[in-house]
Amino acid sequence: MTNEDRTILLIGSGPIRIGQAAEFDYSGAQACRALEEEGARVVLVNSNPATIMTDPEMADRVYIEPITTDAIAEIIRKEDPDGVIAGLGGQTGLNVTAELAEQGVLEEYDVDVMGTPLDTIYATEDRELFRDRMRSIGEPVPRSVTIDGRDQVDDAVAEVGGLPAIVRTTYTLGGQGSGVVSDRDELMEMVRRGLRLSRNGEVMITESIDGWVELEYEVMRDAGGSCIIICNMENIDPMGIHTGESIVVTPSQVIPDRGHQVMRDAALDVIRELGIQGGCNIQFAWHDDGTPGGEYRVVEVNPRVSRSSALASKATGYPIARVTAKVAMGERLHEIENEITGETTAAFEPAIDYVVTKIPRWPVDKFDEVDFELSTAMKSTGEAMAIGRTFEESMLKALRSTEYTPAADWTTVDDKELAENYLATPRPERTFAIFEAFDRGYDLDEIAELTGIKEWYLERYGRIVEAARDAPTGDFADAARIGFTNHEVEALTGGGFSDRHSSWLPAEETRSDGGPSVDDIEADVPGRTYKQVDTCAGEFAAQTPYYYSSRKPEWLRGPYEGDAAAGELEVDRDTESVIVVGGGPIRIGQGVEFDYCSVHAVRSLREDGVDAHVVNNNPETVSTDYDTSDGLFFEPITAEEVADVAEAADADGVMLQFGGQTSVNIADPLQAEIERRGLDCAVLGTSVEAMDLAEDRERFNALMNDLDIAQAIGGTATSEAEALELARDVGYPVLVRPSYVLGGRAMRVVHSDDELKKYIQEAVRVAPDKPILIDEFLADAVELDVDAVADGDDVLIGGVMEHVESAGVHSGDSACVIPPRSLGDATMARVRKVVEKIAVELGTVGLLNVQLAVTGVHDENADSEVYVLEANPRSSRTVPFVSKATGVPIAKLAAKVMAGQTLADLDATESIPEWASVKEVVLPFDRLPNSDPRLGPEMKSTGEVMGTAPTFGEAYDKAQDAVGKGIPEAGTAVVDLSAEEFPNPHSEAGQELRERFAEHYDLVDFETEAAFSEAIREGEIDFIVSRARGPLEVAVEESVTYFSTAASAHATLDALATKEEPLAVKAVQDHPRRDARWGA
Amino acid sequence: MSPAYLALEDGRVIEARTRVPGRTRGELVFTTAYTGYEESLTDPSYEEQVLTFSYPLIGNYGVREERFESDRVHPRAAVAHELTEEVVEWLADEGIPAVDHLDTRELVTSVREEGAMRCGVAAGESATAEAAREELDACLPMSNHDDIGARVSVAEAATYDPEGEVVAEVALVDCGAKGSIKRSLLERGARVHLLPYDVDVETVADLGADVVFISNGPGDPKTFEAAQHLVEELVGERPVAGICLGQQVVANALGGSTAKMEFGHRGVNQPVRDLDSGRVVMTTQNHGYTVVDPGELDVTQRNVNDDTAEGLASSELGVITRQYHPEANPGPHDSLDFFDDVLELARGEDPLS
Repeated sequence: MTNEDRTILLIGSGPIRIGQAAEFDYSGAQACRALEEEGARVVLVNSNPATIMTDPEMADRVYIEPITTDAIAEIIRKEDPDGVIAGLGGQTGLNVTAELAEQGVLEEYDVDVMGTPLDTIYATEDRELFRDRMRSIGEPVPRSVTIDGRDQVDDAVAEVGGLPAIVRTTYTLGGQGSGVVSDRDELMEMVRRGLRLSRNGEVMITESIDGWVELEYEVMRDAGGSCIIICNMENIDPMGIHTGESIVVTPSQVIPDRGHQVMRDAALDVIRELGIQGGCNIQFAWHDDGTPGGEYRVVEVNPRVSRSSALASKATGYPIARVTAKVAMGERLHEIENEITGETTAAFEPAIDYVVTKIPRWPVDKFDEVDFELSTAMKSTGEAMAIGRTFEESMLKALRSTEYTPAADWTTVDDKELAENYLATPRPERTFAIFEAFDRGYDLDEIAELTGIKEWYLERYGRIVEAARDAPTGDFADAARIGFTNHEVEALTGGGFSDRHSSWLPAEETRSDGGPSVDDIEADVPGRTYKQVDTCAGEFAAQTPYYYSSRKPEWLRGPYEGDAAAGELEVDRDTESVIVVGGGPIRIGQGVEFDYCSVHAVRSLREDGVDAHVVNNNPETVSTDYDTSDGLFFEPITAEEVADVAEAADADGVMLQFGGQTSVNIADPLQAEIERRGLDCAVLGTSVEAMDLAEDRERFNALMNDLDIAQAIGGTATSEAEALELARDVGYPVLVRPSYVLGGRAMRVVHSDDELKKYIQEAVRVAPDKPILIDEFLADAVELDVDAVADGDDVLIGGVMEHVESAGVHSGDSACVIPPRSLGDATMARVRKVVEKIAVELGTVGLLNVQLAVTGVHDENADSEVYVLEANPRSSRTVPFVSKATGVPIAKLAAKVMAGQTLADLDATESIPEWASVKEVVLPFDRLPNSDPRLGPEMKSTGEVMGTAPTFGEAYDKAQDAVGKGIPEAGTAVVDLSAEEFPNPHSEAGQELRERFAEHYDLVDFETEAAFSEAIREGEIDFIVSRARGPLEVAVEESVTYFSTAASAHATLDALATKEEPLAVKAVQDHPRRDARWGA
Repeated sequence: MSPAYLALEDGRVIEARTRVPGRTRGELVFTTAYTGYEESLTDPSYEEQVLTFSYPLIGNYGVREERFESDRVHPRAAVAHELTEEVVEWLADEGIPAVDHLDTRELVTSVREEGAMRCGVAAGESATAEAAREELDACLPMSNHDDIGARVSVAEAATYDPEGEVVAEVALVDCGAKGSIKRSLLERGARVHLLPYDVDVETVADLGADVVFISNGPGDPKTFEAAQHLVEELVGERPVAGICLGQQVVANALGGSTAKMEFGHRGVNQPVRDLDSGRVVMTTQNHGYTVVDPGELDVTQRNVNDDTAEGLASSELGVITRQYHPEANPGPHDSLDFFDDVLELARGEDPLS
């Protein structure tokens, strides 16, 4: 069969979770394009609507359906694929493919597993099998024993050489249920959890090789047997910390050629032995034992594309997913063109002439109670990558890119705590702790001893500190050359810091009592120019516009203009060009949806013949793929660095609406920087003033009053006394939060003076420059999200979403449904009116998200009122969901409008879906022990899924399946309504709720939370409605489905009522919709 | 640190930082390998050249003698974006001028666009741009170094015995041989007779070696007239093997021809496809000349990027050669089996069949 006749099923990885982020959207999207080039018909399935890969134009058929064997079997029946590619959808894709094979579905419908065979997958996932295979080819592996019961623990530990030892669970994501333990009790607990989580009921106890250098090799093999190494990656953090949690550098720095070549040989032997076809990741541990090449162990093999392969692709320019897809289709490496050079092929090993640094981003700000000590299990949600000509430059750029401010206040940390808690114990703050230690005069050997980090790296951390220290003495050039921006140098030398996102500024230096201006500094330091990422270290002329900036040597001082600033940039300076600023690393509250928006903006501009450049630093994303834009600038998102791009590329405009808070935040400093440099470049779309107005509580209130739009009563307080007075005026319960926050960070519902005081003292600290907002809590209101596009005159409503959860649950954590299920025509008309008024009055050009609350919906006797909670003139996290549910590409329309077209020019129309689409969120509690697993006003979700079906109940049920916490049809349930948020269990409403669940489940009750918890642990409970934190934490550990709000409990009943309906899958291209205007 | 100057054939003078002072000149070339600086700096094939590392950070894992490929540093000067103290100390001991803090990517792309060029280096307290230009003016083109063999070859013949049984006798003609070639042969049980580059036919014939092996070496193969003569005389009587310059010498001896390349191949990621098996392997390369006509030989392997001849052979004549460096160090070990093939040939078997 030729490729042209083949139908290929491509399985995605589902929602963004800790351990599985946007990298699979990038690899899936790249694979779709590669398969299309091969002429195959592509059927794609992924439950995550926020992805580019689920865009209807990405594949012939796109199914946004749960990644479960039931749903995929149904898709296979409908589409009759010839093959399935499993290795591109992460662990999720592999697991479901393995299950489909085990259940005989693949055989029944004659579906080939393309690329790497399933046997290979089993051989790498089953650690004992894997070790046997490694031993058979003479590759050294750490000693280890697999056990299936706790009684075997002691023998196993003895066999691997005693504690500390590593517990590893097979078939889990991101090292879940794994860790290094040195204490027997801890070990027993870890084994117990591991046994439960493991798909085959086994865990492995392994020799600890803590302190060795951890390395990864990205390998590629074709069916003809040609093998290459794409790159290696060295973890700065020694073995013992998950590579997803480590700071990673490419290429390796401390491994001699012979050591590197020996591991390269091993990697090739392993990939040949396993018969892998496509990309593969192999992990090694290495240490210098005095021999010329050192000693190594093979630690792990991932026979698929991964987070690391995404990083390797971005670090080298080698498109691993694309080549993997083509290899799966039978092509040989030397037959696949290297698109970057245009003159070489995929049969080569990239040469790198720069240093790449990746730093993870952890959700420390969201989970006060979680200990973020780094271990073999992942806790980070995303990562930033940077490219520089030196390690220092690369490191400082990466630090700016993570937008992370250390949670520690070093002035309150004494030497002992610094050493023990921050240097010896790996935490997200460790990089900053090392800087602090050098700043305090620790010597390098001491820091090396405490951290286990190699001297080569520490020497360079030390140089960074030294350069920062020397800057105030007038040595600006050294600080600039080492990697600080001019604005950072200004701050280091005693000026203020007027940019966003610094890398590292010693606290006492960020004062604003004058000093040299940024102009003075700019004139005195070497400027930055752009260099190409070309896969070949300059050996061939490359054609792909992938760039990074680097300071020139110190001999060349002063700012560059024109061609000198452009460096190797090959952009058409005469064509109209626009920079789209991306969203940086994935974090809670700012996920892949902003990458979706950025990519749509870029595509939209390019459709209209405008050159679109991207500035972003997230290696996992489609926006940072080399062929997404006309110029890819892998850079930190600061005003200075974005202005540099604007200057070098001679861009006419910058779009800041699409990258979430990251890009919006640089609006003011970027405007200032553009003016300072006198650039002919405009911030496009809604004006910076209008964005400020929307964020400024008082001015926005006044505007709403003028427009006769209702708002919850409330105000701003800058002291505790003011807050208490305001709260009493408004009347408890009130909603409190700090102003200018992301994802509802630190938002709470407060019921009394005492609670408010506690909140202020513990959570936020209120001050004149850090006001808090206090609002009336609209109980029983239905919350809405509306996404719209405006051109200054006309407004197009993309969609109106009704939240499933009521007020009190952060909008980002609430399930929601399109179209709304409880609003009448009059209310919808009012919603439209309100949104249109706000859009026009704010002078919105581009996207607008409005959050509304509607009261009186559930009470026939009450008046209905539409309140405005918030309006944000920028992209929102619901934009892709709206577009997938309605088929209206609002991000693209917004970009065109911002570039100067009108909605009328575009002939854009609204569309209302006939079916219900439910968005449900994915919560990270299973990855973050001790986190509060109840929904509340603080956003905690990492990702989302979409379920679409004829009715709300079916769609909600599908969405729960897609999240992986399906609603069981029958079994034993606890419906515990004791918490205030539920109807009183003795009331009529409470009784009715319990009775309705009793129709489906056997209800049981417990006297104590301890008994409740124990029953869950023993596997006696299948379904829970409760807000009892202890038992819910156990439910999280045991993967038992639970709901913690009355609203979700009711929605569950709707889902249960539809359980008789057969599972129906439908491609998004076939979803029924009607052309009609919302609320008209 | 005092400034240093690089004067290029295209007229530019580039400023840099002095790490090891001195004045020198040579052909400006670059390698794209990011590991293996010790091996590269001790590779005799870099004789009369100024070696630029395209990877910016050189010297990261120190300097150890057991990783050297010969007993001294061969390039005339070392150029990198940033050199570590350790590598600088070593180069200072060896008296090799070294500079850093310059835009080496710009140098690399210049060489790519304009070809390998002559350059002059002046580094140290009294260094001036003029001094660098003077060096440049005195710099000879690569093919004019007639005496280059004498400077990289052993002066006297020597014999090395393997541990254990001797499976074959190899006459290794040292035109600037990397240590790993000798090591690879010894490891496989060969007795290695290391011979001066200008060894005469009678001496080799009297040795009774099973194979004549022409090593790698610097510069233009045409300057290695004695080695070419040796092959012309002995081919057919004895099996012949060659690596890098050795392949070029063998081709010239058998009716073929060689030419100077634009800027050569230097790195550890050159893809080579075996025309018989179809398999692609990664190879280490360091050459500025190439075989343009294989003469009586067949081309068995080609470079995937530019199709140049990477492997030559003749079953009839008993010849097998490689343009790349199967001995690695630095670089991939993918082609070590070349030495097994050479020893098979030495024993009268035909590795090509």
